[in-house]
Amino acid sequence: MLAAVGVALAIGGGSDDTTSSKEPGPWTERAIKPAGPELPATPERWIGPQGRTGQFVVGCDYSHSGPNDPIVHFGMQGMSHQHDFYGATTTDETSSPDDLVEGDTTCDKKVDTAAYWQPALYDHDEVVEPLDLHAYYRAAPGVDPQDVEPFPFGIALIAGDQTATEPQAGEATGWTCGSRTHLSDDPPTCPASAPLHLVLTFQDCWDGEYLDSEDHQSHATYSKDGECPATHPVHIPQLTASIRFPIWGEGHDLKLASGNIYSAHGDFLNAWDPDGLQREIDGCIKRGVVCDLASNREEEDLFASGPLPTKEEAEAADAANAAGN
Amino acid sequence: MHHRNWRLLGAAAAFVALSTAAVACGSDGNNSASSSSTTKAETTGGGSGQGDTIEVPKDHKTIQEAVDAAKEGDLILVSEGTYEEAVDVTTPYITIRGLDRNKVILDGGFELENGIRVLDTDGVVVENMTAKNYVSNGFFWTGSDYYKGSYLTAYRNGDYGIYAFDAYHGQFDHSLGSGSPDAGFYIGECYECDAVIDTVVSEHNGLGYSGTNSGGELYIINSTFRYNRAGVVPNSGSYELCYPGRSNTIVGNTVYDNNNDEAPAIDVALLAQGNGILLAGSINNQIERNLVYDHDRTGIAAVPFPEEDASDVVPPASELETPCEETRDDELPDESEIPDLVLWNATGNSIIGNDVSSSGLADLASGTIALDDKSATTADLDNCFSDNTFTSSAPADIEGLAPCEGDGNGGDFEKDGLDLLVLINEQAPAPPKDTYKSTPEPEDQENMPDAATAPAPRYEGPEKPDVDAIKVPAKPSN
Repeated sequence: MLAAVGVALAIGGGSDDTTSSKEPGPWTERAIKPAGPELPATPERWIGPQGRTGQFVVGCDYSHSGPNDPIVHFGMQGMSHQHDFYGATTTDETSSPDDLVEGDTTCDKKVDTAAYWQPALYDHDEVVEPLDLHAYYRAAPGVDPQDVEPFPFGIALIAGDQTATEPQAGEATGWTCGSRTHLSDDPPTCPASAPLHLVLTFQDCWDGEYLDSEDHQSHATYSKDGECPATHPVHIPQLTASIRFPIWGEGHDLKLASGNIYSAHGDFLNAWDPDGLQREIDGCIKRGVVCDLASNREEEDLFASGPLPTKEEAEAADAANAAGN
Repeated sequence: MHHRNWRLLGAAAAFVALSTAAVACGSDGNNSASSSSTTKAETTGGGSGQGDTIEVPKDHKTIQEAVDAAKEGDLILVSEGTYEEAVDVTTPYITIRGLDRNKVILDGGFELENGIRVLDTDGVVVENMTAKNYVSNGFFWTGSDYYKGSYLTAYRNGDYGIYAFDAYHGQFDHSLGSGSPDAGFYIGECYECDAVIDTVVSEHNGLGYSGTNSGGELYIINSTFRYNRAGVVPNSGSYELCYPGRSNTIVGNTVYDNNNDEAPAIDVALLAQGNGILLAGSINNQIERNLVYDHDRTGIAAVPFPEEDASDVVPPASELETPCEETRDDELPDESEIPDLVLWNATGNSIIGNDVSSSGLADLASGTIALDDKSATTADLDNCFSDNTFTSSAPADIEGLAPCEGDGNGGDFEKDGLDLLVLINEQAPAPPKDTYKSTPEPEDQENMPDAATAPAPRYEGPEKPDVDAIKVPAKPSN
């Protein structure tokens, strides 16, 4: 499989000289795969308590926002809907992985200089500044961890469909409360101690050749029953990004910069330090150990909205809800 | 009952899966080429005559290179110096030892993640050195059995000081964990753990000791927990495997002044602040002959952990003896069967013969939260209290209500009980981000005896401590 990666980089770099396959040309000159048939957007996800398989987790604070997108609208400032960025601190419409890997990061693992982003969230037309993102890297359920290769440097992945106006099929995206792993299409009403999260699960099978495609989908897809299809034979880690918003309680009117709430999606542009990524995949995923947990919860005010309701208060709330229905 | 059936099915599947995993789990991670030749120094006095002694920086410039060049049984002796490394260990049954605990320093520079990280590798002993300024942990064993950390100092690390996860048959002793927002010492996700924490000091952390979903032959003894936000906090929750935490033996510790609002903190440390020994949803623990004093809230308390984003419900008592590994692939209940709030009550704890004083709310406490008419009440928790020296309790007369031998006096468990809803709401404010980076620098710590010449025998797991011989500690002179 490593040979396939080398060939892909050679093609990606536009070089005819196979002896220089380890030195790809500039990312901006990479080959883009023509759009192909629509691929299934249905990951098989890990659910339940953490620790059921080897993993490493990166915690990345919110970095900045902007109407820019180096995958979909490269070089076109202001062309995109508003995005919130995490990880690399300089992500904009001109960012290449070569730039990002040289820069700073908001992530706790300093070797993670990748860029992560999602369309901005609005509540009653007011922008909601997100808190942070946790990136879980694991072998997808059923996949032999020994088969997992690092993401190629510079691969672009998008989870979810930004054009959707109705609930998307599958669970590439979904909403939940806190560290719950069951997802819903509509944002649930969450308690303050477990606020609203957008969960994005990216493709874990790569075609071994292209870093991106015209439709930003055709070069990667999801495994099924632990197998990648012959068209996308390279197992890469299953990346699940969980983005935490300071939203809890009732009375919200949420939409995304890309459209209504069903247009949820997110982007990953791999600019990890390659040695650092290799080390985490070898040490954690392949050895089957938990290297990090996102349940090492952050500094925040638990139960910030006030105490748990008393029995009387809960009954009164139930009665009010029943009357409202 | 439905839930129980799911779990039993899962346990059978897990057994098959684990049998396969054990075969696939080789120790093939030792693939880093060393830049220098593997010069072997003479075995310096010890090593049980088994392995070689490898010296850093004489034989290898870095600890990582030495670890990668080592083979089973070897002793790596590290000379004085600052090592800006994050060492991953995948060589089994080796000892990594500093020649001077206070002068062999692993420094993460607030950039690197772990000082020493042992990955799915058994028998790794780390001794007599310091790890500071790591964004994650000082010393970390994960999925690695027969682990031992002795004469270690870990401070100003961003998650834990000295940390074992999903690891069995291990010990931490004669060590210091200081200045981490989570716990100075942590042993989590194991049952039965077969582990001992003995003669350690934990201070200036969010939590002195924390262990989520761990226990069973887990002993925390003869140690000091002070100046943390909260002292010793075994806990439970379904966000990680092996719930609930259970059957810890906590004896002969000195636990005082854990109210430190200048310490770094994860959020549960804010919630736990001002308590000495806080059993947060952990069950069937034995808390005996500890000296506990000067806490803003309680000295020793059994309280619930409320989990509002639970992945599972509380398992029935019949499953408590199930080894952790057999729950890994359990089927989970349908989402609709998990209530919005899962309350992990602290039940079945025995609090005996402790000396507890100067607590703001109560020296001894047991309580729960009434969610509805079916909720357990404090009387149902089955926590017992006997032979303690104390002056206040919640509920009042706790040793009369719930003695460990014989029947209680039939009094009112609600009289002067803890109002946990108020306590939850009145938690301490969060500290500024990265508070851990400026926590106090510890004084020089005791070195291991004869570090240069002491043998490095193969580590075969902890000796079972003679708990009965441990007495209530004397109060420190300062």
